Amino acid sequence: MRRRLIYLILVLLFLFLSSAGGVSAHRLHIHHQIGAIEIKAYYGGGTPCRDANVTIYDDEGNLYMEGVTDESGEFSFPPKIGVDEYRVVVESTHMVGHRGETTINMSSSGGGGAGAAGGAGEEMPLYVRIAAGLGYLLALGGAAAAYSGWKMKKRYGGG
Amino acid sequence: MVHISDGILSTPILSAGWAISIVVMAATIWWCEKRRDLSEEIPRLSVMTAAFFIASLVHIPVGPTSVHFILNGLMGVVLGVLAYPAIFIGVLLQAFLFQHGGVTTIGVNTLNMGIPALIAGAIFRIPVGRLRLCEVSTGIVAALAGGVGVLLAALFASLTLIVTGRQFFEIAGALVVAHTPIIIIEAIVTGSIISFLIKVKPELIGLGRSQCET
Repeated sequence: MRRRLIYLILVLLFLFLSSAGGVSAHRLHIHHQIGAIEIKAYYGGGTPCRDANVTIYDDEGNLYMEGVTDESGEFSFPPKIGVDEYRVVVESTHMVGHRGETTINMSSSGGGGAGAAGGAGEEMPLYVRIAAGLGYLLALGGAAAAYSGWKMKKRYGGG
Repeated sequence: MVHISDGILSTPILSAGWAISIVVMAATIWWCEKRRDLSEEIPRLSVMTAAFFIASLVHIPVGPTSVHFILNGLMGVVLGVLAYPAIFIGVLLQAFLFQHGGVTTIGVNTLNMGIPALIAGAIFRIPVGRLRLCEVSTGIVAALAGGVGVLLAALFASLTLIVTGRQFFEIAGALVVAHTPIIIIEAIVTGSIISFLIKVKPELIGLGRSQCET
């Protein structure tokens, strides 16, 4: 009888401990990993700028890291603790004379995912910039045409 | 891709580029003003500059990189000496609106594309003006001028880029090989446009209607 009681207690104890083990598996673990800053360099038209030399400077202008872009023009680097601004310079090796530069600011909300690469301005869409260029040229042509019209009028209109 | 970016060339080269470009521009404008009414030439110059400005957006992927149209040969053929100021305006707009090339390199880039444009203009105008070629021959000479314009632009850019410490033949080889499709396409485009213009409106390229001996 007493032995049975001991068995019962042992079984209950085992069940309790095993269930307690199950509870401890619900502990919330936090594993942290600081993601790399990813950059992508590409030529106008979207062709990736591969095998290009990448130089990264920290906010004080000191050289932080150097590397080469991969086949898709991408390069990633780990951020340095306490530094939230980087200047990234990419120099093409396949097309010498082409260089892009951008500043990545970690504290401003604008950075990240689809941020500007190669220093291209994102302020105006392309069609607006095309229209602006054509507008200047149209104005130039128009002004010249108006001037020659005025000159002709002066020459023949007055007499 | 003969537009050199900011931060690659040294200050003396950049200054020389600006100085030569300003002098050549003044000389071409003076030369044109002496012969024709400049204000009547400007609308034509604006149209061609618009084509030059937009052409740089058309890219062709070549190997590990991509190249775009330049149209400097066509500029030289159509505009003659005025191609130089036209290219300057085009490069200026490309630098500010497309961030194409750089602002400090506007002088050098104008030089690298403008001098070949003047040479292309001479290749076209001298034989066509003197030999009274007919339409087909004019088209062929124009195609040659269009191709040579791009080829020389790639060579001029390579010459400028020697300062990056590389060998001329290494840079020139890469640039010329990459630009081969552009050289061929621009030759065909220039040839077709000129043989069309010579038939329809030869005044646009500064030639009389009776060029072809029939």
